[in-house]
Amino acid sequence: MKLSKTISAMILSLILVLGSFGTANAKRLTAAVADWTGGEITCQVAVSILEEELGYKVKRVVFPSGTGLWEAIAAGEIDFACESWPSYAEADTVMLKGPLVYDGETKFMYEGDGSVKLLGTAGIIGLSDYYIPRYAAESLGIKTWKDLNKHKAKFATIESGKRGRLIACPVAGWNCHDQKRLDLLGIDFQADELGTEAAAIAEAVAAYERKEPFLLYLWEPHWFFGAYDMVGVQLPDHKTCESFTEANNWKDCGTAAWPATGWAKDYTMNYGNPETFAKPEHAKAAEFFSKMKFDNADQAVMLVEVKQKNRDLKEVVKEWKDANPDKWKSWLPN
Amino acid sequence: MASRSELISKSNQSKNLITYIIIAVVFLVALWLSTQSDGPSKFPKEVTDKFTFTAWVNDGEDYLKKNYRWITKIIANYIKNGYYFIEDFLIDSPWILVASMIVLPCLIAGGLRLGLYSCFVIYFWGAVGMWNESLQTVGLMGLSVLLCVFFGIILGILCSQSDRFEKFMKPILDTMQVMPAFVYLFPALFFFGIGGAPAILATMIYAMPPIIRLTNTGIRQVSEQTIESATSFGSSKLQLLLKIKIPLSLPSIMMGINQVIMMALALVVLACFIGAEGIGGQVWLAIRNLDVGWAMEGGLCILFMAIMFDRFSMSFSKQEATLPSDVQKFYLLPQSWEKYQIARLLEKPLSIIHSIIQYVCIKTTNFVAYIFNFLISFINKSTANDIAEIISRRFYIIPSFIIFFIISIIDTNIFQFGSFPEEWKLSIRQPIADGVKALTVHPGFISFTKGLRGFVYLNLLHPLDIFLTHIPWWYTMAVFIAISYFTVGLRFALITAVLLVFIGACGIWPQSMITLSSVLVSVVLCFAIGVPLGIIASYNERYRNIQNVVLDAMQTLPYFCYLIPVLMFFGGGIVSAVLATVIYSIPPIIRLTALGLTQVSGTYSEVSRSFGGTLIQTLNKVKFPLAVPSLVVGFNQTVIMAFAMQIVTPLIGGKGLGLEVFNGLARSDTGRGLAAGIGIVLLAIIIDRISLAWTKKQREALGL
Repeated sequence: MKLSKTISAMILSLILVLGSFGTANAKRLTAAVADWTGGEITCQVAVSILEEELGYKVKRVVFPSGTGLWEAIAAGEIDFACESWPSYAEADTVMLKGPLVYDGETKFMYEGDGSVKLLGTAGIIGLSDYYIPRYAAESLGIKTWKDLNKHKAKFATIESGKRGRLIACPVAGWNCHDQKRLDLLGIDFQADELGTEAAAIAEAVAAYERKEPFLLYLWEPHWFFGAYDMVGVQLPDHKTCESFTEANNWKDCGTAAWPATGWAKDYTMNYGNPETFAKPEHAKAAEFFSKMKFDNADQAVMLVEVKQKNRDLKEVVKEWKDANPDKWKSWLPN
Repeated sequence: MASRSELISKSNQSKNLITYIIIAVVFLVALWLSTQSDGPSKFPKEVTDKFTFTAWVNDGEDYLKKNYRWITKIIANYIKNGYYFIEDFLIDSPWILVASMIVLPCLIAGGLRLGLYSCFVIYFWGAVGMWNESLQTVGLMGLSVLLCVFFGIILGILCSQSDRFEKFMKPILDTMQVMPAFVYLFPALFFFGIGGAPAILATMIYAMPPIIRLTNTGIRQVSEQTIESATSFGSSKLQLLLKIKIPLSLPSIMMGINQVIMMALALVVLACFIGAEGIGGQVWLAIRNLDVGWAMEGGLCILFMAIMFDRFSMSFSKQEATLPSDVQKFYLLPQSWEKYQIARLLEKPLSIIHSIIQYVCIKTTNFVAYIFNFLISFINKSTANDIAEIISRRFYIIPSFIIFFIISIIDTNIFQFGSFPEEWKLSIRQPIADGVKALTVHPGFISFTKGLRGFVYLNLLHPLDIFLTHIPWWYTMAVFIAISYFTVGLRFALITAVLLVFIGACGIWPQSMITLSSVLVSVVLCFAIGVPLGIIASYNERYRNIQNVVLDAMQTLPYFCYLIPVLMFFGGGIVSAVLATVIYSIPPIIRLTALGLTQVSGTYSEVSRSFGGTLIQTLNKVKFPLAVPSLVVGFNQTVIMAFAMQIVTPLIGGKGLGLEVFNGLARSDTGRGLAAGIGIVLLAIIIDRISLAWTKKQREALGL
């Protein structure tokens, strides 16, 4: 009797799951969750519109950004990703094809193989730099990056020893080349990759609260600037270096160009798998992406809600959607 | 006689002395060498430039992608469709239906206790808002377990039927069981890209060894007499297998399925690193956001789920104890409370309910059986009887089906249940986060964590890092080869040489030394904390029982849940990575210390006590030397687990080979990731073999 019971329960649990009445396949897309909060917000805005207005079912995959993500999108394993920052993406020039248009103006003409499709602009315009807190800048008299070496001992930690420490670009896939930049510019600092944005920010907050000097890689829009008074160290203006690619074994152009310079202004974009978005059933999604244009001010407000007030990201985006229908209704396909 | 044994012990002593001197000399030379070099030691550039393993792998991947991806794509698509089907069903069905589909089997198989527990687990999934993610994990796990059991049983039967096939499979299975789980993710990534389908394939392969083994031994253990009598009744070979051998080995197969489920769950959660969906992704997201409460919720979801599936699948291989007829059967409370009047009173209504339900179930089933009998008897009388009998025997399954049916009818026609009700949500995220925050701003606590961080970094990690990376590579390599020559033998020394040259030639020598130093520091800390706990446990049984429960829970959690508490209190950084490794890999050392010390038979300690040895002396002079083999096994397991942990520590700031793996993944540089992953495994294998061989020698020396 025990065995019969056993078999009964087994059959029950297995067969039922398999042989059950399946539902009709909904329209599906797979999206990558960005690994910085701003990107997460932009993506959630796009995803919530796809889900609520266009009847999609979007699956969100946690994956580190970087070339690996671009290749996954080219292979169709992930359908789209949001808010790519061109100066961080190393795959964009190889894989995108077509113009990047902002406000009717072509910012960049991509001439890659087209294995990834540029879906449209995300609307966020980003800026990146190295920053120090204002109190440190004033008390130490640091005006530009050239003054950092004099005070490197003040920026040192246990781990960095005699050198100063930069709380660096946390995610390897972002391709910031911080250590390379420091070395090229002759700044005797050590770039410390902490793994996640949250870890880097936590480190910075702790240091700020102790009123210690620290050097932080950061980008705008970011909530940190609203809460803490930071000043940039004015890295040299961005100049591209053609040979600094993996194919060229990262041959840098000396101190004249990238990565010895700062970042260019980033006109961010959404990108996806060309085959997926060429399908007629996804035409509406493609049209939505071509029209979508989020902006810095809105994202900044939501960043404060999510990160400083510790609120649920989905809730915040929903609130924004309810409060500003005029902003996103125009992105909907006709 | 006496003089001879004295002589032996003397020669042993002098041998020991020589060994110690050699070790000291080797260490001093290493120290001197490490101070001589000014940068980390690297493999000669001529070798690393020529041995472009990374490029070969990447070229191979490109070639595969161009020419054979369509095959893997077809396979992956089949699996993906199967998975989407399950996932859609689980997520889109009314939540009550899904819940009852989990609770009812638990109730039937494991009784009221498991039934109630599964209700709690399901409530927890929904309450913390991880309903969909939990079901995704269940779906992924279910599909991979299904595939795994299917292929595993076939392979197991093949093994049991052919000695040659068994001989062929045995070394493969042995190797598979030594490999850490993440190793399976690389090939899956290489051939199938990222996503749920490769995760299912990797899980299927990873979880297969136990089911193959247990099917094989189960079938082989069927007694000669049974087989003899079956053959004498004239059953063919196939009949013998299907009707006698497999049914008789079912308990063993069930045990295999239990292990498969646990292993599959662990890997499915880890598979979030190759883009699989589910709770693993949630925990990763939480770690990315440094949100301890969120991560904790995810970790608890996994833990509760693991316990539920474990008990559920265990209940099949467990025999129900038969009670004497005058004893009341308890359904909820422990049976040992039967002697209390009040417990008997409390159980009374339960047993009444049980008999009512049983009565109703049997009646309904018989009724259904009767209807089927009646309907089919128009066609064929004897099949009708057979079917009726089959149905009436399953008097729990039919009512369950009826319940599911009713639920889905209500859902489609009368009232939509939809997804898990929002009002029942109960987030523990904020309280946990607040609690942690309250603790972490406490000045005493800050100085404690800072002190510990500073101590571990300045006194252990940093010097060892510098030491290991600055010793010339050829010296380290020579030391390793010498150790493996003296402990294992010439053949393994050669293998060690080849493996280490591979690591060096891949150009990851400095990183692997950093990994090695992290692992060594972790293991040292594990010993420093684990051995005292083990000693306490060996003296105090009550403490041991409590500790065992904790350790059991710790061993069911997947790797990267250990990052959470560390992240909570210590923030990110390389020291935190080491501390997380310590927490993950400490259970075996505690267990095996306690085991080794309790196993030392009472007579030894009795003798020592009667010679006037104090407690400390007994422990130090008698018990510890005898427990050494057990301790070394603990060391061995701890080292393997510490290496396995290196793959996830980069999430909170770990360095070394693990970081290389992550960079490889993010930069789509499969070769780089693969080389680093292989590096971790090779180091683990070398240390594993050396310590195993050493245990064997120790055992022989002790005459055990």
